[in-house]
Amino acid sequence: MTFSTGITGIQNMAPELPVQASEDLLSTPMFNLIHSFGVDLHHAESYIGKTTRMSRFERLSTDGGQLDGSGIDPAAEVPVRTDIDATMEIYAKSIVTNEQVVLWENSKTLTKFTALLGQWLREKEDLLMRDLFASSVSYINATGGLNGDQPSNISLNDVNNIENILLGNDARSMLTSLEATLKFATGGVRDAFIALANTNLAADLQKVQGVLLKSAYPTQEGIRPEEYCSISRFRFFVSSKAARTPGISLKGNTVYTIPMYGLEAAAKIEQNNYTAVIGYRPPWVVSAVAQNSQLYAKFAIARAITNQNWISGLNVTTFQPS
Amino acid sequence: MAFTIVSQGTFTQPATAVNQIIPLPSGADYFVTTNLTQMATTQGTGRVVRGEWYGGGLTAVNDGLRWKKTNSTSAINIDKFSTSTASNGFTYVTSFPAPQAALTGTTITQANGAVASVTNTYSEGDTVVIYNAVGMEQISGMTFTISSVTGSQFTLLGLDSSGFAAAATAFSVRRVNQFTPVEPSFLYVTKVSQAVGAQVTVSQANSVYLGQKLEFTVPASFGMVQLNNFYQPQSKPIVVTSIVDAYNFTINIDTTNYTAFAFPASSGSPTVQLFATVAPAGQSTQFNPITGVQTGYNFTNIPFHTGIFIPYMYVPAGAQSPGGSAADVIVWQAYKMETGTINAPVPS
Repeated sequence: MTFSTGITGIQNMAPELPVQASEDLLSTPMFNLIHSFGVDLHHAESYIGKTTRMSRFERLSTDGGQLDGSGIDPAAEVPVRTDIDATMEIYAKSIVTNEQVVLWENSKTLTKFTALLGQWLREKEDLLMRDLFASSVSYINATGGLNGDQPSNISLNDVNNIENILLGNDARSMLTSLEATLKFATGGVRDAFIALANTNLAADLQKVQGVLLKSAYPTQEGIRPEEYCSISRFRFFVSSKAARTPGISLKGNTVYTIPMYGLEAAAKIEQNNYTAVIGYRPPWVVSAVAQNSQLYAKFAIARAITNQNWISGLNVTTFQPS
Repeated sequence: MAFTIVSQGTFTQPATAVNQIIPLPSGADYFVTTNLTQMATTQGTGRVVRGEWYGGGLTAVNDGLRWKKTNSTSAINIDKFSTSTASNGFTYVTSFPAPQAALTGTTITQANGAVASVTNTYSEGDTVVIYNAVGMEQISGMTFTISSVTGSQFTLLGLDSSGFAAAATAFSVRRVNQFTPVEPSFLYVTKVSQAVGAQVTVSQANSVYLGQKLEFTVPASFGMVQLNNFYQPQSKPIVVTSIVDAYNFTINIDTTNYTAFAFPASSGSPTVQLFATVAPAGQSTQFNPITGVQTGYNFTNIPFHTGIFIPYMYVPAGAQSPGGSAADVIVWQAYKMETGTINAPVPS
């Protein structure tokens, strides 16, 4: 015996609102911001042009200088000043929202978009500093790796060569040492220079002789999440957006650029009141019928390599072509 | 208004027409060029008088609609730049361009002003990266400005390869952007003389300025390591004292007794250290209180600044291209949806 199928189930009685938002938004992807924290911060004032000049006196000669008792003075020396100029530039981004979005589709859009614009500010700034490092610094091709490419994959010899260059140029290390503790399988980390690498190099970094992965540091306190390892006198920070140029190695593989530097090698200059501006233009301003509102973010930045002596770096390829 | 002109302008091609880069701060959904000069003439071989580009992925790279006069009349034919016979069309660039697809060349000569043979569509003054130069691996990976460009070869005026052991018998080359993301940029050094006030040659044209300060990085494989900063008295940066020509300049260093500068042998690659480079280190600004003359000031090129504005429209030159040929007057207009895109317009 069968009954009629007048059953009211999920097939014909789905919820009136078939979807619901979960309690919170998922994370917006963001890459590691590694290109700004190691540079000097300077400030530019308003009303006096868009070029910021940073000046340095070169050290005096240590040749001669002995008085011989004759009463004749040693020759005076004319100090030499080096001027490094940087041009202020403004970057901006905006989001226009139609009132129908808020009316029918979504809530708290201003809050969400403000967060997005804030993330854009920092990401854009990071990439601008990356471009400075990639464009305006001399790099040495790694040759100590065994992948047969030019440049080769990274090796300890290559890292030590850059340390020689920086030390030979009297560069100062930037990061303080991490003292060894009695924790098992950990070791001390010397005061160090900074190295910035692409995440595609992570596998190669692990293979470099003498590498100390972050997990083996004596402490994790105060260590940035972007840090990956320590090799020789350098602590490596990684980002998926770190510099690379596809297809130009001897074998046609991607070449990665690793800036390696110490104190006062590069600078980021902020314009007063323009470090990070986020604003809102209401609908009656943006739209003739008051339907579109606008959020915007803008910031001003100038950037410069302030001392080429204290920055160097490596061009590398990966052991396995990437 | 939802669809409006956001920017427009004109340019006149010089005696040797050049590719144009037109910054578009708001981007573009539609871009059009009109060749006013050719609109008013008829040529034996019909010219392109109008070019159109649509955004949203509707127009392929190096393409667009080509409005072309037929031979010797003003009758118009319309097709795409990619249609046979193909000519260069528009390229809309929204992020810093990666190196273009590789071309495979046959030889690079041993000459002062080495000549590279490769079938190409490059233009005078383009910038290229050469790699895998068989027999001349010491230059593999270097960036060059090219000149005397024909469809089958170009010259590297910034490279004197006459002292190399052999010519290159094969190589790969990619065109790259003329400017780096930030200028001034580091440069490849190809020659340094042994002289009072040494003369330096770099591989790219018009990249160094009078009064600029520089720091050299010369690996031992190139000989003249004394140019490296840590060998210099007081570690002072080196100053550019004169500009000889597009590729050559002199510096305030007496290199007479320095080790000779020379490229390593090709056979040393890949283990030999490359390259000899020079990086910008500021400028030497001086004021003479007697004459009241300031020297070394350059507020345009020496300060660190963005190399190229993005986004931009690349408008190639040529009688069959939107940029036109010698002396042509071109009007361009960029249109932009006020909100939305050409694929997803909002109600208006």
